Amino acid sequence: MKPIPRRKFIQSTALAGGALYLTPVLKACKFLDTQASGNYFFKEFGIDEALCQKLLAKALSKGGDFADLYFEHSVLNYLGLEDGKVNQSYGNISLGVGIRTVKGDQTGYGFTQDLTEESMMSAAATASTLCDMNATPVGSSFSALKTANYYPVAPDFGGIPGKSKLPLIQKINQKCFSISPEIVKVNAGFSSTLKRIMVITSDGVKAEDLIPSGFIYSSVVAERKGKQEQSFWNLGGNRDLSFYTDEVINEVAEKSVNNALKLFDAIQPPAGEMPVVLGPGVTGILLHEAIGHGMEADFNRKKISTFSTMIGKKVAEPFVTIIDDGTNQNLAGSINVDDEGTPGQKTVLVENGILTGYLHDKISAKYYGVEPTGNGRRQDFQNYPVPRMRNTYMLGGEATPEDVIKEAGNGIYVEDVSNGQVKIGEGDFAFYVSQGRMIENGKLGAPIKDINIMGNGPKMLSNIILAANDLEMFKGGAGQCGKSGQGVPVSFGMPTCLVKSLTVGGTQQKGGKS
Amino acid sequence: MKSNKEQQLSLQELADWVIVQTKKAGAADCRVSLSRRRLVEINYRDRKPETIKEATTKNLYLEVFLNNRFAGQSTPDFRKSTLEGFIADVVDNSRIMEEDPFRTLPDPKYYEGRTTADLQLDDPDHNQFTPEERHLMIKTVEDECLSKGGEKVISVDAGEYDETSEDYVKSSNGFEGSTRSTYYNISASMTAKDEGDRRPSDYQYASSRYRSNLPSLKDLGAEAATRTLDLLGATKRPTMTIPIILENRGASRVLGGLFDPMSGSSIQQKRSFLADKKGKKIGSKLLTITDDPFIPRGLGSKYFDGDGFPARKRDLISEGTINEFMVDWYYSRKLGWEPTSGSVSNLIIPPGKRSVDEIIKDLGKCLLITGYIGGNSNSTTGDFSVGVIGKLYENGHFVQNIAEMNIADNHLNFWNKLVEVANDPWIYSQARLPSLAFEGVVVAGI
Repeated sequence: MKPIPRRKFIQSTALAGGALYLTPVLKACKFLDTQASGNYFFKEFGIDEALCQKLLAKALSKGGDFADLYFEHSVLNYLGLEDGKVNQSYGNISLGVGIRTVKGDQTGYGFTQDLTEESMMSAAATASTLCDMNATPVGSSFSALKTANYYPVAPDFGGIPGKSKLPLIQKINQKCFSISPEIVKVNAGFSSTLKRIMVITSDGVKAEDLIPSGFIYSSVVAERKGKQEQSFWNLGGNRDLSFYTDEVINEVAEKSVNNALKLFDAIQPPAGEMPVVLGPGVTGILLHEAIGHGMEADFNRKKISTFSTMIGKKVAEPFVTIIDDGTNQNLAGSINVDDEGTPGQKTVLVENGILTGYLHDKISAKYYGVEPTGNGRRQDFQNYPVPRMRNTYMLGGEATPEDVIKEAGNGIYVEDVSNGQVKIGEGDFAFYVSQGRMIENGKLGAPIKDINIMGNGPKMLSNIILAANDLEMFKGGAGQCGKSGQGVPVSFGMPTCLVKSLTVGGTQQKGGKS
Repeated sequence: MKSNKEQQLSLQELADWVIVQTKKAGAADCRVSLSRRRLVEINYRDRKPETIKEATTKNLYLEVFLNNRFAGQSTPDFRKSTLEGFIADVVDNSRIMEEDPFRTLPDPKYYEGRTTADLQLDDPDHNQFTPEERHLMIKTVEDECLSKGGEKVISVDAGEYDETSEDYVKSSNGFEGSTRSTYYNISASMTAKDEGDRRPSDYQYASSRYRSNLPSLKDLGAEAATRTLDLLGATKRPTMTIPIILENRGASRVLGGLFDPMSGSSIQQKRSFLADKKGKKIGSKLLTITDDPFIPRGLGSKYFDGDGFPARKRDLISEGTINEFMVDWYYSRKLGWEPTSGSVSNLIIPPGKRSVDEIIKDLGKCLLITGYIGGNSNSTTGDFSVGVIGKLYENGHFVQNIAEMNIADNHLNFWNKLVEVANDPWIYSQARLPSLAFEGVVVAGI
């Protein structure tokens, strides 16, 4: 099964980043009681409060600070087009419960795909083996968590039906071929997932969520004089079908085709240190790698992040404010509630140049004596939650994009990135530029492509010297961030921004040091 | 726990039932893949368990072929009552697809000729592996890492993962195959104090099919510490063009860029810079890549591939010349070629005669690359660029640890620069690669 083009995925040992966008204007969200729209697991799978209490009591039967149950039912559908036909249909159903017992910073975890009392009790027993003390009592009732809704869907929303996706994918194909006779291959596809979760905690919280997510993409190959170039673009997020209009279809097709065609004029990229301008939007992956991962509190609690001694210190110019946000409307990293029952929220990492706070899950929040920030996320019920980013972005400055490019003098301009990685302890990071331009004498020049850019997180932050007033959020849906072997959807945002110096990994040694 | 035989039988029975039901629901053909897995994962930090995880998983993947239409779907729910609805859904999904004449089950003649050898993928002693032994293994690794890391240690993580799995595949046109396997992984990582706010970290790991084939746990723990200490004081150097050595353990990060473009899918979809290079030289004579599925206890060893074709040993690249592409059934039909198998097993580059230390002495000023960061490879054009971490040597003498640098090239240039292969294949992975030495590579830095 290969539903998603590989280049938009990122994997690494403890680290890495994904790929997505947002809209600049964030709508106000209306509050609703998720329980009223939910009770899905109680209704569909015969789970009830008494059983949940029994499972939590089992999980805490040998002691522990708290325990939680994470029920999940997800249905993924993917339709793919190749050689003019929508000829691939893949689906996956994920159903089960993960049961966690936590003592201090220790976690016991069991999960099962069978929602029978016997199997679930066995998973709870597995989680409990971490402890060897007297039982911890469990509360006698659960109160439903009220959360905002950042991705509302109609009450009867049952996912996006396969039939309605077919014409959209066919349109992308037709549009791509109609834009240029040089397009020789088009792969397109539509992936959608409907995920239902319920978190029940031993401290009495019951949280439910319904998350509609997906993306539509186009991946094209152009041919000129026997030479091929490829490009990829996607749009999506936590959305229902109403997002996928003709405008969205056209944007995906045009962007992928035009980007592929530009690459025929690309020159050999330079190598060495130079000024780098990040274009607006998807380049926010830089923040994700350079600072985001290092601010995940588990790494700091363990003292293995380069940022672990920097809270309250000046790390950037006063115009730099960096936010990790679960509350953006319909973005891929938006969450009404995290995967351990904390409401989705907005967390400021850097405020006016000062490093302000980490991204917490319940374990790290307790360690630091602060409230959890709603960053406890997990890939699915087979994994325990750890601190993860949501939508990470930097606020815009006052310059115009043209000013920023002019200020760079000689260097490179980054338009599209495909993946990245960071080493938490050193703070060294990299991101891969699939599309960019040379900057010569303050003006955009020839296209460049396929270059890895490297830097060091704290150094890079202090080297952000100018930002434009054009913050753009990445509206893609295919971006995944990998950590501890778990992938979660994330997004980014960035204004046009100048970093004084980064290492550009090209092949042309004499390239533009300025 | 049921005996192996009983479990095998029940997966087989379920597969038979699913095939009958799927055909009854209207499918012309189908293939069902069933799997069951039992896993244990334990991690330690600061001499106590940080996470303990244990579970059993199962999965059913059904592929339906109907009038040149195709759909595939998976579910963890093996109950016949819910599977009926699931099967109907998959068949319905296939009906709404557009026709694709190439999408069929393979011609059964290609199923023939499977090896009868025992590849020893299933450690008979796994069922005697106790929780106490698991904890002891991790403690041994952790102790050694802490002791070797000494005062420089900020944190050490050590962990163990093992699983037993059982797979059974059956198609409506005569394919049947099953595999039982075990897998062990042990690892340690260390973070160390360095200048300023730098906290370098590195790790060591090993994977194997049999527990008895894991390396010395003490050596593994010590190696994690040594590798981390080796990163202390790393800095960036000016951009230079010098010989480099890709250390065995990580060499597949760069070599991996050759495999995607050698696949039938990339070739047919015009996303391959190697599409017209079969029978042509793309690298130095030292570049031979063998795909060998028959290594006993090999992490990539297998009896059959995803199409049901018998596993076969083959040279993908022979002395620098592309010998065979990886073409699965579907793309073989689209290309009008014979299928060869679309996936690889264990990858081998024949080892050379000398150690890395000996090679370094002859390379003058050179860089030993021990780690990577970021990077990617473009299968359409062959361009790649990846961040590197390593050690700079001059005439055999260590000069400086380096970080935050980068190598970039086009694969068609790069593999011609391969000048020597070391004698040290890394056997704890599916890619059993030795260290590889190259001349004249641009390493970007200051």
